[in-house]
Amino acid sequence: MTTALRSAAGRSAARPRKPRPSPFGLGVGVVAIALTVVTAFDWRFGTGLTFRGFIDNFGGRNSVIAAIPRADLDQMFSARDRGAFLDTVGIAVISSVAGTLVALPLALWSTRLGAPYRWVEVTARGIGSVIRSFPDVLWALIFVAAVGVGALPGVLALFFFSIAVITKLTADTVDGIDTGPLEAADASGSGHTQKLRTAVVPQILPAYASFALYAFELNLRASVVVGIVGGGGIGSRLEFFRNNYPGADRWEKVWGLVVMFVIVVFIIDRVSIALRRRLV
Amino acid sequence: MIRFHNASVTYRGGVHALKDLDLEIAAGEFVVIVGLSGAGKSTLIRAINGLVPLSSGGLEVNGVDVPALSRRGMRNLRADVGMIFQGFNLVNRTSVLNNVLMGRLHRVATWRTLLGWYPPGDVELAMQALERVEIVEKAYVRASNLSGGQRQRVGIARALAQEPQIILADEPVASLDPPTSHLVMKDLQKINRELGITTIVNLHFLDLATAYADRIVGMRAGELVFDGTGAEADAAVFERIYGRSLTADDTMAKEAAGL
Repeated sequence: MTTALRSAAGRSAARPRKPRPSPFGLGVGVVAIALTVVTAFDWRFGTGLTFRGFIDNFGGRNSVIAAIPRADLDQMFSARDRGAFLDTVGIAVISSVAGTLVALPLALWSTRLGAPYRWVEVTARGIGSVIRSFPDVLWALIFVAAVGVGALPGVLALFFFSIAVITKLTADTVDGIDTGPLEAADASGSGHTQKLRTAVVPQILPAYASFALYAFELNLRASVVVGIVGGGGIGSRLEFFRNNYPGADRWEKVWGLVVMFVIVVFIIDRVSIALRRRLV
Repeated sequence: MIRFHNASVTYRGGVHALKDLDLEIAAGEFVVIVGLSGAGKSTLIRAINGLVPLSSGGLEVNGVDVPALSRRGMRNLRADVGMIFQGFNLVNRTSVLNNVLMGRLHRVATWRTLLGWYPPGDVELAMQALERVEIVEKAYVRASNLSGGQRQRVGIARALAQEPQIILADEPVASLDPPTSHLVMKDLQKINRELGITTIVNLHFLDLATAYADRIVGMRAGELVFDGTGAEADAAVFERIYGRSLTADDTMAKEAAGL
C-alpha cells in the first residue's frame, strides 16, 4: 500500500532532516522550571518566601474569615451603599467612554501603517508604554494626591487605565488587518486620516467596541481598589467599614458589601459579555 | 499620455522588476500588458500612480513628472488615476456604497469623511458609477455578501467614481471564473470606449488579451519584448513573451473547458 505513494520517477532530491528544537526555546523552558524550583525552596539567600510559610499562614484562626458566614446582607438595602454602587458604575462608565475615545487615535498612530510619519509612531508608542507601565492603583494614588479624595480621582485613574488597555489591544488588531483596502485608498489619492477612517476603522470596529466593553468590565472591578485608596464609589465604603467603623461587626459589614459587589459585577459582566459576543 | 523613459525599478534585494523601459501610451488607448508572474507587469502599473517609485529613469503622466512629485502632488495625480486590483481590495465590513465613495476621498473634506457625511453630489457620482457597472441595487449591501464578480464590479465602480483619466487594472480577472472574467473585461472595454478613459490592464492569459486589447505589450524579466496589436501577437510573439511555445494551458478557453 505504501509503495503507491512512491514517485514513478524513483528517488528525487534527498529528504530533509527533521530540524532540532531551537536552543532558545529549550533554554527558556529550562530557566523557567529552574526559577520556579529555586524560589519555592527554603533557600539560603532566599527572601523568606517559602511553601512552608504559606501553609503555616493558613493554619491560624482568623476573625476576618470567621465573619464570612455571618456576612451582613442587609448592607445591600442600605441607601448609602446603593448610592456608592451607583457612583462606582458611574465612575466606570465615564472613565471607559473617555478612555475609549482617546485610545482610538493613539492606537492607530502607534502602528506602522496607521502613523502618518515615523516620529508619530514612535511618540504614540512611547506615550502608550508609559501609560501602560502605571498600574491602576498607582494612577489612583497620584490623582488622589493631586485633586483630593472623591469620585474625580477615581475617574481620572480609570480613564488612564482604560487608555492603557484599549490602546494596546486595538493596536495589535490594526497590525492584523487586510492591507488591500489601504492600497486602494492610497491609489485613490485619499489623505492619511481619510484612509484610516475608511479603510482601517471599519475593519477594527467590532474588535475595538469589544475592547471598550472589556475595559468597562475591568474598570468596574478596578474601581474597588481605586476606591479603597480614595477614589470614591463602593471602594471607599469598603475602606470605611474596614478601618473606621466603630462597631464590632465590621467584618460582617465588609462581607455584606463584597457579596453585593460580586452580584452586581456578575450581572453587568454577563450583559457585557453577551454584547461583546454579538459584536465580533 | 503616459511616457516611460529609460525607467528602471530595482527592489531591495536586487530584483530588477523594470529594466530601462521605454513606453508611450496615448490618451484613450486600451492596452493590455501580458507576461509571466514576476515579469514586471504589476510594477509597471504601480509605477504609473507612484505606488512603486522608479529607481532611475523618467516617467511622465498627463504632463506631470512623476518621480519629482511631492506628497501633495502625488495625491493629486492619484486622484486622476483609478485602480482596480486582483484581490478587489474592498472593505468587507462596510457597504458597497461606502466602498465606492472611497473613490471620492480626494474631493471630500477630511472632517466629512470622519463623520461619514459625504456631500450629496459625491454620493450621486458613486451611485452613477454603480449604475454603470449594473450593481446599484447592492448599494447598501455589505461588500462581504457579494460574489467575486460582483466585488470586482464594485472595484470598477470605485475607480470610476474618481472620474479618472486613466484606469489601471492589475490582474482584474485572476481571481474570477472564465465567464465572469469576460464580463469584467467587457465592462472595462465599454468604459474605455464610452468614456474615453485610458485603460491599462495586466493579464495572464494571451487569448483574453487578444480578444479585448487594441494594443498588447509583452513583458519578460522586466523588459519590453513585444508591442503591437492583438492580430500581430502570434505564436512566435508568444514564445518571446513566455519563453516557450504556446500550449493549451496558457489560454483561458482551455481552463474553462477543464473546469
